[in-house]
Amino acid sequence: MDLLAAFTWCENTWLGQMIRDSTWAFAAIEVVHLLGLTVLLGTVTVVNLRLAGIGLREQSASDVAADAMPWTYGGMAATILSGSGLFVSEALKCYDSPPFYWKMGLLAVSLVFTFAIQRRMANGNAPDFSPGVGKVLASMTIALWFGVGLAGRAIAFY
Amino acid sequence: MSLFQICQVIQESEIGTAIRESTWVFPIIETIHVLGAALSVGLILCLDLRLTGLGMGRIPAAQLMHRLKPWYLTGFAVMMLSGALLFWSEAAKLYDSFTFRMKVLFLVLAGLNALIFEIVYTRRIAGFETEGTPAGATVVGWCSLAFWAAVIGFGRWTAYGLS
Repeated sequence: MDLLAAFTWCENTWLGQMIRDSTWAFAAIEVVHLLGLTVLLGTVTVVNLRLAGIGLREQSASDVAADAMPWTYGGMAATILSGSGLFVSEALKCYDSPPFYWKMGLLAVSLVFTFAIQRRMANGNAPDFSPGVGKVLASMTIALWFGVGLAGRAIAFY
Repeated sequence: MSLFQICQVIQESEIGTAIRESTWVFPIIETIHVLGAALSVGLILCLDLRLTGLGMGRIPAAQLMHRLKPWYLTGFAVMMLSGALLFWSEAAKLYDSFTFRMKVLFLVLAGLNALIFEIVYTRRIAGFETEGTPAGATVVGWCSLAFWAAVIGFGRWTAYGLS
């Protein structure tokens, strides 16, 4: 099955049709999407500011991460679940939207940074990054997630 | 001159018209607005979680407040400035929008809530670790969570009402 066929299948699902046909479903789901994104971006920022040596620097990185990560995961789950609903309701629009592919690519890289690098740095069992490298990686993680938000917003525009 | 007429003058001004009629300026400002709001509210959320006892239990409230303040104030400034430009371009439309009025109402409530916290609790926040979070500060935390969620919800809905 090629990509277009897969997107068409999504567009024709019961859920996609229901969201499209409803007056309020899309807007309501998008509010959830935005609230989830806010929780996600806020907590990612707190953890990575700490990893960059700024922000909550009196606390250990592992303490900040342990406190923030459940909320990061919760925000991520809410954003991805609601985002899947938005996607199936307009999969064919997404198929033609360059920012959609940017968003999914940035999302994939952001997830790798968050799970493979940030989590290990926060647990203190990171491959020993020099402070400079750690700062760069933490700044990149923040920038990547905000990039996901930026590209996501752009889907609505073209 | 009524408030509505003032809104009309703002919307029809040279800058308001330029933002509204441009292909890219409005979407770019709106994207900045959303990301500024997410940064600001997302960081305020971390302090609220601590005040309400929902999370962030390993970090003293005083640390969350003092260390995150420059960052959430920056996000807040970005959100307000970009929001002012968006308002400039469609002030008369927004005057009629119920969701916009609700958003402003909750923004004012969130501001008053933060002001109460600033006046009553900021000087005592270092003591929260030893004496526990005062009940009043917990209420402020819950109000902040509710008010900001309402600001974001009504804010997003405002954009639907206009389209």
